[in-house]
Amino acid sequence: MDLEVQKRIKEFAEQYGPENVVVILGGAEPEAAGIAAETVTNGDPTFAGPLAGVSLGLAVYHIVEPEVKEAVDKDVYEENVGIMEMVLDVEGLSSEVRKYREQYSKYKA
Amino acid sequence: MKKFRVVHYINQFFGQIGGEEKADIPPLDKEGPVGPGMAFNAAFSGEAEIVGTVICGDSYFNENLEQALKDVLERIKKYEPDLVIAGPAFNAGRYGMACGRLCKAVKETLNIPAVTGMFMENPGVEVYKKDVYIVETAGSAAGMREAVPKMAKLALKLAKGEEIGLPREEGYIPRGIRKNVFVKENGAIRAVDMLVKKLKGEPFVTEYPMPDFDRVTPAPAIKDLKSAKIALVTSGGIVPKGNPDRIEASSASRFGKYDIEGVDFLTPETFQTAHGGYDPTYANQDPNRVLPVDVMRELEREGVIGKLHRYYYATVGNGTSVGNAKKFAQEIAKELVADGVQAVILTST
Repeated sequence: MDLEVQKRIKEFAEQYGPENVVVILGGAEPEAAGIAAETVTNGDPTFAGPLAGVSLGLAVYHIVEPEVKEAVDKDVYEENVGIMEMVLDVEGLSSEVRKYREQYSKYKA
Repeated sequence: MKKFRVVHYINQFFGQIGGEEKADIPPLDKEGPVGPGMAFNAAFSGEAEIVGTVICGDSYFNENLEQALKDVLERIKKYEPDLVIAGPAFNAGRYGMACGRLCKAVKETLNIPAVTGMFMENPGVEVYKKDVYIVETAGSAAGMREAVPKMAKLALKLAKGEEIGLPREEGYIPRGIRKNVFVKENGAIRAVDMLVKKLKGEPFVTEYPMPDFDRVTPAPAIKDLKSAKIALVTSGGIVPKGNPDRIEASSASRFGKYDIEGVDFLTPETFQTAHGGYDPTYANQDPNRVLPVDVMRELEREGVIGKLHRYYYATVGNGTSVGNAKKFAQEIAKELVADGVQAVILTST
């Protein structure tokens, strides 16, 4: 995950409290989504950014996960995510992100 | 027990200074671990500790090599380490070159062990694998988790002076070192076992992996052969009688350059082969069989080629190292180009 993005997420968690922050991912690659999910929960697995060794334990979901879809107005979701949902590997993305959420998230929304 | 003191070398990115825009920062050092150093400290499980981290921009290191190396080594020395870890660099080319160069220098000048990690295709592997322990890693930083424990384990072994096992056991990239070992079964039995496995489609591990040779892109074809000056170069060992340059019959360490001005064809009275890797009878009977001066003169007379170059070059390709062969070729090619030669016919045996 980009160093600047890590820094911003870390700042938000400090500013609003980690229990009040939910990270929604939008990347297309399951592996990259997994790394991002791990970064905001257990810490940066590449040990390159500000979240290296920092376990924020944030709640994290991918935009295509059913939990997010259910929480969003149907028409709005369809308009903004509908097409991507058809082309993305929804199952792969969901299972990657879920894996890290279940293991490391301390604040499950 | 005393904890080993470790200094960790990383680039600007892992040093959390910045990406490409910070690649030109000169070396700096910090006490304790930074970034991946935290993962190493955890993997050392109390047996070693990162006491200092040296960070240098990848571009800076490679563009100011001597200066950067000196500076980084000074900073490393300051922490009085027992061990140096560099990277892992994954598939980052300049980072890999820096890690490889530094580990080599640490070993040679500070006389302490050093370990780095890289992806197989990192250019640093090709250049430094013979001198340095390079643990094989994934291509991206996503492989940090797998790379760190392997590097830490190998580094601890080196620090303790323990015997280092085979590359595949320890996870480092083969350094091209051959070691004699005793095994229960003789070679014939082992070879047949491998063959049987191969025929059955079962996996087996060769005891003698073939080296990887680089591929050379052929030069474009000559447009006008009639006006081209062509040279002969051979690894078949054809030399003037008596082998005046004493080119070795095997594992040649030199090549010869011989004048064939006015020589219409080679005769057994004036030429011979110095090669010790094949039956020399037929080459000595008629040296043109290996170095076709006779045919080249015919082509010259017929006007097929412009001119046969006045000198030919010869060495012995019998067990000659790739390194030596490359060196010969570079020297020969330089002279040929300077002499205005457009093409070369290479003959071997």
